[in-house]
Amino acid sequence: MDFNDYYSIDAILAENQKVQCKFKQKIPNMGHLGGGTERDITQNAKLQMPVWLSYIILYSGWADLVFPAPFAQRVHNALKAEPRSVRLSGLVGAGASWYMLGRMLMDIIQGSRAKELSEMMTEAFTARLMEVVDQAYHFANVGSMTGVSAAGTPQAFREGLDNTERELFLLARNSEKASKEWYDGGNHRAKPI
Amino acid sequence: MSLPVSLRTSVTPPELELIACQQLIDIIPLITMERTAFISGAYGPLRPPNRAKVPIWMAVNLKTKKKCHIVPPEWLTYDYLKERLEEETSKDGFSKLPFRYIEISKVLLDVASDDLENTDKLRSLLKDLREARQAKCRAGLSQIDYSELSLPNLCAMEINEIRPFFVESMSVLTQLTPPQNIPNS
Repeated sequence: MDFNDYYSIDAILAENQKVQCKFKQKIPNMGHLGGGTERDITQNAKLQMPVWLSYIILYSGWADLVFPAPFAQRVHNALKAEPRSVRLSGLVGAGASWYMLGRMLMDIIQGSRAKELSEMMTEAFTARLMEVVDQAYHFANVGSMTGVSAAGTPQAFREGLDNTERELFLLARNSEKASKEWYDGGNHRAKPI
Repeated sequence: MSLPVSLRTSVTPPELELIACQQLIDIIPLITMERTAFISGAYGPLRPPNRAKVPIWMAVNLKTKKKCHIVPPEWLTYDYLKERLEEETSKDGFSKLPFRYIEISKVLLDVASDDLENTDKLRSLLKDLREARQAKCRAGLSQIDYSELSLPNLCAMEINEIRPFFVESMSVLTQLTPPQNIPNS
């Protein structure tokens, strides 16, 4: 997944994720941006904006960014305590990427907070990566259990993967499958041609 | 970009096998053949009982028709692999094995098991080696960062197996690193 790739469909989809903006001034006739029925955007209104739209709004000084909940201190603490028990998919919603949203947030806020964010995400990513790959490798043995998943089980972890990690899981899974097929491959060469 | 995703990320194990089969190997032919030109070069002449050097694909073809014996490479023996396995389990790095040892050993074990000694032991040694090396790859994953990862002596098949998700992980890590921290970007 390339975050910056102009042609990357993943990047385009990621830019569609919403961040909350708090408007500093009244903007007439733009109420539809917030998706509501209001005609104007009032002062101090908090609206969910897609990231691609938020750039222009924030840089023009019309609104302030409300720091998104998926990257709040609470999440930071939870990740510090045990990176593998945090359900990233639950933080950003299904089909969205926590890392991509974080990456775009880094671009918006810049400076030392961006650095902090980068460190948090890098640590979380490396700590969770092992588990992702391990589970991909042993997925065939574990099988896809159905039913309720208790916290701390491999299944709960899998459900908590965000989109970026999901893609990695699939890559590792397919690679393992292809290798295994080849290693176990029938003795097809033994037949005289 | 119409290739299926599974083929886009890296080459497949059968393709690696095909590549490995270009390597030359000694055979003892049971038939006579003049020097013959193939697309990849001219091989032969085959004059039993003299040894000849031919590509593995040709050796396999002749072998399946019972027209040659394959002389196993010097590393495909119980003693050599046993030594490597000990090295593998006692030391940190990967032991030095031929770059395409996995492909070649599998092809030879499949086709020419009667030309090898102790095939069962060889198989289990190769399996142990693979598992020991896989564990090290896994450990390497924990040291991954955005810029580089050095795993010397890794073999073609192993590289190929870990390539898709290692590359992807590193590209994600690159994205998570602030641009000013990446030199020459």
